[in-house]
Amino acid sequence: MVGLSEGEKHFIRGGIAQDLRADGRRRLQFRAMSVETGVIPQANGSARVRLGSTEVIASVKAELGKPSILHPDKGKVSIFVDCSPTAAPMFEGRGSEDLSAELSVALQRCLLGGKSGAGAAIDLSSLIVVDGKVCWDLYIDGLVVSSDGNLLDALAAAIKVALSDTGIPRVNVSLSAATDEEPEVDVSDDEFLQFDTSSVPVIVTLTKVGKHYIVDATSEEESQMSSAVSVSVNRHRQICGLTKRGGAGLDASVIFDMISVAKHVSQQFMSVLDSDIAAAEEAE
Amino acid sequence: MEYVNPLTGFRVDGRRPNEMRQLKGEVGVVARADGSAMFEMGNTRVIAAVYGPREVQIKGQQVSSEEALVRCEYRMADFSTGDRRRKPKGDRRSTEISLVIRQTMEASILTHLMPRSQIDIFVQVLQADGGTRAACINAATLALADAGIPMRDIVTSCSAGYLCSTPLLDLNYIEDSAGGPDVTVGILAKMDKVTLLQMDAKLPMDTFETVMELAIEGCKAIAKYIREVLLENTKRLECQRCLRPDFVSGHFLQQTYMYRAIFVEIKAYKAAFGSED
Repeated sequence: MVGLSEGEKHFIRGGIAQDLRADGRRRLQFRAMSVETGVIPQANGSARVRLGSTEVIASVKAELGKPSILHPDKGKVSIFVDCSPTAAPMFEGRGSEDLSAELSVALQRCLLGGKSGAGAAIDLSSLIVVDGKVCWDLYIDGLVVSSDGNLLDALAAAIKVALSDTGIPRVNVSLSAATDEEPEVDVSDDEFLQFDTSSVPVIVTLTKVGKHYIVDATSEEESQMSSAVSVSVNRHRQICGLTKRGGAGLDASVIFDMISVAKHVSQQFMSVLDSDIAAAEEAE
Repeated sequence: MEYVNPLTGFRVDGRRPNEMRQLKGEVGVVARADGSAMFEMGNTRVIAAVYGPREVQIKGQQVSSEEALVRCEYRMADFSTGDRRRKPKGDRRSTEISLVIRQTMEASILTHLMPRSQIDIFVQVLQADGGTRAACINAATLALADAGIPMRDIVTSCSAGYLCSTPLLDLNYIEDSAGGPDVTVGILAKMDKVTLLQMDAKLPMDTFETVMELAIEGCKAIAKYIREVLLENTKRLECQRCLRPDFVSGHFLQQTYMYRAIFVEIKAYKAAFGSED
């Protein structure tokens, strides 16, 4: 919970109206970002992203499984988010469940596409080992370690970095003559396949405070929001998913305006993220 | 399986029997907490955050009006173990470890100095490779010190075991799951008192003594390291205070006033000299 006095609330709103926010940023400016890869050695890929005081960790684990009967030509990806009580005392016990579920669903919507797997950011057919028999199950876990607003954007960025860090072991399959037998799978220990992450989108959340909207809101600013629109945009400026939060209604024209701004901002954000990924991989 | 090589006397990860894994401690890793720390023992990595002393949130939990209420929650990340498994929150193991950490830390916190208040300790395991209990207690000590909470002494913890008729210090996951005894000891470093002692499996009386002695030696080594980390942190803080006095105590509004003043100056400059950008 953010405890703010009337004066502070007024100051935050006034600053946003004048295009100069409480920490000296402009309305469409992100906080300084730092990216680290390979933070969880046990995972296939992992990343830590810091946006100001917000810190999230994403890990990708790959396990061999069986594709579902409905989609024998596609692998499975699941996303779970957990908010650690280290981030805020209110996440203690079951207190984080609502927020964790909200973030998980929003990320699933933006990254995994529809139920059929159509429009997913990750090419699900690339996870198939043997059609209808063996596939990779990707488990993407997000952990919020420190929370100072804009968790969704930070988590999406961390997942994008973690996926680009992910190496899936190469597998050799020896198919036996009998078709209904379980195929033998030999997982290689030293050969890894990289993912194509070029189509993984980033999420930009525009938070509306008063008449204006801002990117990368801190938790003080989020406490003053009327509504927020999270737009996920990929490299080709296509919109992959959209979530609106907050109670206040928005005019349709405002939403279109927000989307076009989000598209523009996301391209800058993505180029910053790409250079950060390259720097992090070099440092590793 | 051989956990200690009979020829060289080295363990599975190449350590000597009385050798600890590499320690790493860092203070102030969670920006918004009152105190926080990260502690690594080899591949085991935990984060602890302390909130408080603050007003008691749920009045019914306040046991005594003379002493502060200390609470603790232990949580493991889904990705912390080797094979990923989603566990329900508040399973029995977590509840037990939460309780152990709370009792151990409570013994060292001067609770009578902060009546009618509450101190929350949250520990989050990022990677589990044996000895999470010990690592959590060490991280909690660092975080409490970072939060400036008055303590009697530094509490440190370390585990030891007995495999292949050799006492082993600081067990990793492979050694921990070997089925031998696992002795976890927590001590008040300066007062030389044991505050935590746990053992599973059986062990002859005289061997237990040597194993426990070994664990206590480990605790003392950790206490020495933790003191170094805290001293280093204090030096850094002092240095910061000398460099930028306005930022140390500065409320965020004060900083903003400064930013805004600069902004207004730039505007005035632009107006005067007619620069476009």
